[in-house]
Amino acid sequence: MPEKHESEKTKWIKDVEKTLKRFPERKETFHTSSEITVDYLYGTEDANYNLGYPGQYPYLRGIQPTMYRSRLWTMRQYAGFGSASETNKRFRYLLEQGQTGLSVAFDLPTQIGYDSDDVMSEGEVGKVGVAIDTLADMENLLDQIPLDKVSTSMTINAPAAILLCMYIAVGEKQGVSSEKLTGTIQNDILKEYIARGTYIFPPKPSMRLITDIFAYCQEHLPKFNTISISGYHIREAGSNAVQEAAFTIANGMAYVDAAIASGLDVDTFAPRLAFFFNAHNNFFEEIAKFRAARRIWAKIMKEHYEAKEPKSWKLRFHTQTGGSTLTAQQPDNNIVRVTMQALAAVLGGTQSLHTNSRDEALSLPTEESARIALRTQQIIAHESGVADTVDPLGGSYYVEALTDELEAKVMDYLERIKEFGGAVQAIEEGYMQREIHHNAYETQKRIESEEEIIVGLNQFKLEEEVNPDLLKVDEALEKAQINNLHKVRKKRNQEAVDQKLEALRRVAIDEEANLIPYILDAVKAYASIGEICNVLRDEFGEYTGF
Amino acid sequence: MRKIRILIAKPGLDGHDRGALVIAQAMRDHGMEVIYTGLRQSPVQIATAAIQEDVDVVGLSSLSGAHNTLFPKVIEELEKRNAGDIPVIGGGVIPNEDIPFLLEKGIKRIFTSGSSTEEMAVYLKNLLRPEEAPVPPKRIAHIGIAVHQIKDALQFFTETIGLEVEAIEEVESEGVKIAFLKIGETRIELLEPLHDQSPIKGFLTKRGEGVHHIAFEVEDLAVRLSRLKEQGIRLINEEPKQGANDSQIAFIHPKEAHGVLVELCEQAKGSDE
Repeated sequence: MPEKHESEKTKWIKDVEKTLKRFPERKETFHTSSEITVDYLYGTEDANYNLGYPGQYPYLRGIQPTMYRSRLWTMRQYAGFGSASETNKRFRYLLEQGQTGLSVAFDLPTQIGYDSDDVMSEGEVGKVGVAIDTLADMENLLDQIPLDKVSTSMTINAPAAILLCMYIAVGEKQGVSSEKLTGTIQNDILKEYIARGTYIFPPKPSMRLITDIFAYCQEHLPKFNTISISGYHIREAGSNAVQEAAFTIANGMAYVDAAIASGLDVDTFAPRLAFFFNAHNNFFEEIAKFRAARRIWAKIMKEHYEAKEPKSWKLRFHTQTGGSTLTAQQPDNNIVRVTMQALAAVLGGTQSLHTNSRDEALSLPTEESARIALRTQQIIAHESGVADTVDPLGGSYYVEALTDELEAKVMDYLERIKEFGGAVQAIEEGYMQREIHHNAYETQKRIESEEEIIVGLNQFKLEEEVNPDLLKVDEALEKAQINNLHKVRKKRNQEAVDQKLEALRRVAIDEEANLIPYILDAVKAYASIGEICNVLRDEFGEYTGF
Repeated sequence: MRKIRILIAKPGLDGHDRGALVIAQAMRDHGMEVIYTGLRQSPVQIATAAIQEDVDVVGLSSLSGAHNTLFPKVIEELEKRNAGDIPVIGGGVIPNEDIPFLLEKGIKRIFTSGSSTEEMAVYLKNLLRPEEAPVPPKRIAHIGIAVHQIKDALQFFTETIGLEVEAIEEVESEGVKIAFLKIGETRIELLEPLHDQSPIKGFLTKRGEGVHHIAFEVEDLAVRLSRLKEQGIRLINEEPKQGANDSQIAFIHPKEAHGVLVELCEQAKGSDE
């Protein structure tokens, strides 16, 4: 059979070549973001069509047998700005509008472990997310939101343990025990070193904090996703689709290695690992990326780590549409970009999705823009019909060929990273950073030479851009936040705080101890993020770049 | 002359350094020396580094919304150290409505999302090496108008408008017949194709009769062309070529000049055109 097909295809190509003389192609070569050459046409000979079934290893077609026929993906819009009570209002608005999960954005001081009154925090308080200093802020943030009913995703990495403890403490005050809490902490420090920049401590103690969280949650928060291994920011920093998938999976393997080295059994923590990918512009390549990542991870977990539980093999992922694909020019065009990207995520089988707002290249989203972004998902879910069958593009000649080729290219990268001794070493030697930067620079050059067309940016421009209404974070917020922090410091039992922080300091140097219960004690005494991180900074040191 | 030295800095806590890194590399490719501070620099650290590194300009990048606080602080800290003369530029996610405030605080220029590195390199060279900035062209040497038949067109330009024909020439190498009509210090050139392979024929078929090109008279054609090439401006002629009356000419791609075909021409010494 294949031979016959090949000769038929060869014959057909000869015909095409005649046509091409009269109608030359638009470009000399066509290729995806990852430099995969795209052929005129794909057929039966171009891929492996032994696809397997959804819900079955290696999960190419989806991790559940019925996928969106049973339950749609979770629509989870990332939000947070200004003060905890302002963000609380936005959350309650989004829940009323039909959003099904919360996703908290924190401001940079919170993400880097500085209190709002720290000199380093100047100008940054409440800007890219909500400002959290102590448990009191977290109580305001989650006011009247029932933690046994809503799952919450927190984009927090270096101080993930502290925010998780605050979440546990608020749950307790609501009468919700920690076993019932559902949600995700990002907790992925490796991609911070590579791409996102909100690191605090050096790699070794950072990895310890992560494995301490794995161990603690296995016992106390069995329904909580302990990490969201993120390719999103790697892509935003300028990587291509293959690099995004490869570096994310390599980081994932580093966490599994660290957890196993700390004495955990792979099947106790692997089911709680989650992933987070970008949905970028090249529609079919993105779909292929999600599918390939799922198959690769399943094989690695089963064959390399010898995990026994099917739950450990499944790559569950959240997706966000690509922020850096949005243009500041003609911002309404971004709604269309987001729609296409969101559709790719759904066709790729995502478990949850954030759709970006049209104005994100300009500022934080307004309420109207955030609503349109959510409506985009609802239209895909309820009107387009794409959620009515499982893996509708499975078996597409092109998609399967791309999936195979992406998988092969990812495996090549994993092999190179292995030669460095793993992801941590590859990052320490700057390998991933260089690869990403190289690709980012080449992309910029292609855009400037108009080899790559961005509608409204380098072609189809408007003479006069309209300035849309933007969300403004009140500049007085910083002062108010600092005042609140000072009030909490005055009101709390200072002796108890000092005592809990001292206890934390003692276990910080004891590598055998689990830090989480001590952080929880300090949080409950209303110790601030800055105070807790400073104790750890004293003992762990600070990371300043490789 | 020493190379332009630029400090690229990330003030505040923002970790998005894709833009800063891309700009650092692009400015290096434009022959500048670039020092990148890395993440999380305070205004004091940035000002100190700018002075220690003896840079010509500081470029600040912020995507976290802290620009209104942090950019002016960098200027204050430079001034405190008697280095207020070092120009500071900025970029990142900066809403248009914040730009007037930043300019008023002394930031020289804001490059927002979607700016090209080319544009920035040219801006810096003109700002920091004004002696090398382009001198304005002397005059419009002529305006070229493509016509089907010169004899038909002349009726309008001479009888209706009142211009006078100076000369009619055939330029075999370009496949074109030209009528010259003087108007003040400039001329109208009517261009008629001599045959079907003439570029003027192509223009007429695609767009019909109309303005074909504008010629600027310059005095440094060869130098200009090499600088335009350096800036990545697309040229139809990368080297000067022979034009009418011993002049040297070259065309710039119309995409670069917003749809207008621009000719640069340099007269032979002592000639009128």
